[in-house]
Amino acid sequence: MAERPLLAHGIGGEMLAYLLIRAFRWATGLLLIMFLTYTMMYYGAGDPVKRMFLDTSDIGVDALTLERIRERYGLNDPLLQQFGNYLNRLAHGDLGTSIREQRPVADMVRATLPISLQLGAAATVISTLFGVPLGVLAALRHNRRTDFTIVGIVVVSNAVPVFVTGPLLMLLLVVVLDLMAVPWGWNGLFSTTAILPVIVLALGPLPIIVRQTRAAVLEVIHEEYIRTARAKGLPEFQVVTRHMLRPVLTPVATSVGLVLVTLINGAIFVEFIFGIPGFGGLTLEGLQQVDYPVIMATVVIGALIVMVGNFLVDLLYPLLDPRITDRR
Amino acid sequence: MAAAEVLQGTQKLQSDTRPESRSLRRDAMRRLIKNRLSLAGLVVVCLFLFAAIFGPLLAPYDFLAQEIGGALQPPSSEHWLGTDALGRDIFSRLLYGARTAALIAFTTTLVSLLIGITIGLASGYLGSRIDASLMWLTDVTMSLPGILLAMLVNTSLKYPFASWFEDMYEKTRNPFFLNTWWLDFVLVFGALALISWPTYARLIRGQVFSIGESMYVESARASGADTRRIMMHHLIPNAIGPVIVAVTQGMGAAILLESSLSFLGIGIQPPNASWGSMLSDSLTLWRSYPHLLVGPSITIAVISIAFVYLGDGLNDALNPRQWR
Repeated sequence: MAERPLLAHGIGGEMLAYLLIRAFRWATGLLLIMFLTYTMMYYGAGDPVKRMFLDTSDIGVDALTLERIRERYGLNDPLLQQFGNYLNRLAHGDLGTSIREQRPVADMVRATLPISLQLGAAATVISTLFGVPLGVLAALRHNRRTDFTIVGIVVVSNAVPVFVTGPLLMLLLVVVLDLMAVPWGWNGLFSTTAILPVIVLALGPLPIIVRQTRAAVLEVIHEEYIRTARAKGLPEFQVVTRHMLRPVLTPVATSVGLVLVTLINGAIFVEFIFGIPGFGGLTLEGLQQVDYPVIMATVVIGALIVMVGNFLVDLLYPLLDPRITDRR
Repeated sequence: MAAAEVLQGTQKLQSDTRPESRSLRRDAMRRLIKNRLSLAGLVVVCLFLFAAIFGPLLAPYDFLAQEIGGALQPPSSEHWLGTDALGRDIFSRLLYGARTAALIAFTTTLVSLLIGITIGLASGYLGSRIDASLMWLTDVTMSLPGILLAMLVNTSLKYPFASWFEDMYEKTRNPFFLNTWWLDFVLVFGALALISWPTYARLIRGQVFSIGESMYVESARASGADTRRIMMHHLIPNAIGPVIVAVTQGMGAAILLESSLSFLGIGIQPPNASWGSMLSDSLTLWRSYPHLLVGPSITIAVISIAFVYLGDGLNDALNPRQWR
C-alpha cells in the first residue's frame, strides 16, 4: 500500500538529492562520533597494555614483552593512522579484542545485543499500545480533567529517572504487594523476570509518544474532514481510528530517533538494576573497566542504531506524508 | 449583545488592570505564584537549596560517622530514615547529597551556559557556513544518549587528570595534589558541561535570529539608539526569559545526570555522599532492608519533579507570547 504514492510520484531527482544529503549527513555524523570517541580513548584511556596486565602485574612482565605487544597491536602509531586502521578492520567486521576479557568484542556484542533488542522492541510495542490511545484520549478531552491527569502523569514519568522508578516499582511489587519474586537475570522475553524490565524501559519513550499523539490529534481535530466524518454519522470510534489516526502516524513515526535514544539510555540502567546480561550492561562494563575496544564498539553500535533509525524516518517521511513531495 | 454587557465587560477589564505597578518582573512573579504546581516546585527547590547550603548545620549526625553495631537500623526517632550498611545516618547523608547535587548543578549549568552563549552567538553572527557546521555538531552530540556521552567524557578525562595530579605531586611535593577527593567533582563538572551546552547554544542562536531581526530592534536602531542601548533595553530583556527557563530545566537535568553517573558508579565515588550512589549501594540489600531505597529514590523523584514544574511555571510566566 505504501508503494503506491511513491510510484505515482516517482522518485524524482529532487527526492534522490534529498535522500543523498540526508544519508551523507548521518554518515558524516557517525564518522565524527567515531573519531571523537577514538580520540578520547587514545588520550584518555591510559596505556591499554599496562591495563591488560593490571591484574597480573606481580608476575613481572619485562619491558621488551610490553613493547612487542604494543607493536603487535599497532599502539605506537600516530592517532590518525591508528584510527584509519581501526576503520579498516571495522569495515571487515572486526571490532577488535577486549583488553580485559581477551576475546573478540564481536562475540560479546553477538551474545548481548539480541537480548537488548528484544527488550527494546517489547518496550516500544508496549509504549505505543499505551501511548497512542492515551494521547488521543487526552486530545479528545482537551483542557478537561482527563487531559490534565494524562498530561500530569506524562510530565511526572518523564521527570523521574529510570533508576528511581525501577527500584521503586520493584519495592512496590515485591515487598509491598508481594506479587512476584525479585526479578533478576534473563530467562527469555516471555518469562516473569522480563515483565518489570520491559515496563520500566517502556516508561522512557511513553511521554514522547503521548505528547506527539496528543499534539497531532489536536491539530486535526477541528479539520473539515473530521466534521464531515461525524456529520455523515460515523460512530466516534471509527472517526478516531479511520480519520484521526492516519495523520497522527507521521509525527509519531518521526520521533523514532528520540525513542531510540531513550531506549538505549534506559537499557543501560534497566540491565544494571535487573541484572540482565544485555548490550546496555556491556556498555556500562566497558566504561567502568576502561576497556577501550568494548567502549568503541558499543558507542559505534549505539550511534549506528540511532542514526539508521533517523535515516529510515527520513526515508519514510515522504511515504507517510505525501504533502512533503507534493509541496516541492 | 446588549450594550450594557459590553460596558460591564470593559469595566471588569478595567478593574482587573487597576493602577498597580506592573513591571515585567512583578507580572512574572504574580503569574508564577498563581500556578499552584509551580509554586510547590519553587518551594521544594528553595528547600533543596536551603538544605544544600545549611545541610551540615541541620544534619543530626556527620555524614561519614559510622555507628558501631548500628548498621541497617530501620527508621526510628534517633535516625529518621534509618542507617545504611555502614551504620551511617541516611538523613544526614541525604542532606550532604543535596550539597553535592547543588554544587554540581550550579557549576555545570554556569560552565555550559557560558559555552552555549559563546557558540550560540558565534553561530548567530558569524555567517551561514560556521552556523551550519556548529549546528551539525550540536545535532550529532544530541543524537547520542546524554548519559553515554557523559560516561565517555568522564572515563576519558579520569586517567589524564589523575596522572597529571601524580606528576604535579612528584614535582612540587605539595600535599594538595595528594588529596584527590574533589577530582571526581571536577570530572563530573567537565563531563556534564560538555554534554549540556548544545541546548543553550541552540536557544541563544534562535534568540539572536528572532530578536535581532525583529521590528522593534530595527525601529530602535532607526530612531538612533546605539548598540549599547539596544543591547540593554531590547535584546537582553527579551532574550532573558527563555534563558532563565532553560537554566532552571538545565539545573534539574544536571542534578539527574549527576545522580545517574554516581548510580552507575562512574561519578562521585563512595566516601562522598551522592543520592545516586546511595541508591545503587542499596540495590543489593533492599529486599531485606527496604528503607535504604526509599529515602534516596523519593528525594531524587521529588526534586526532579519540582524542577520540571518550576521550569514550566517560569516558562508560562516569563514567555507571555506562548500563552494558551
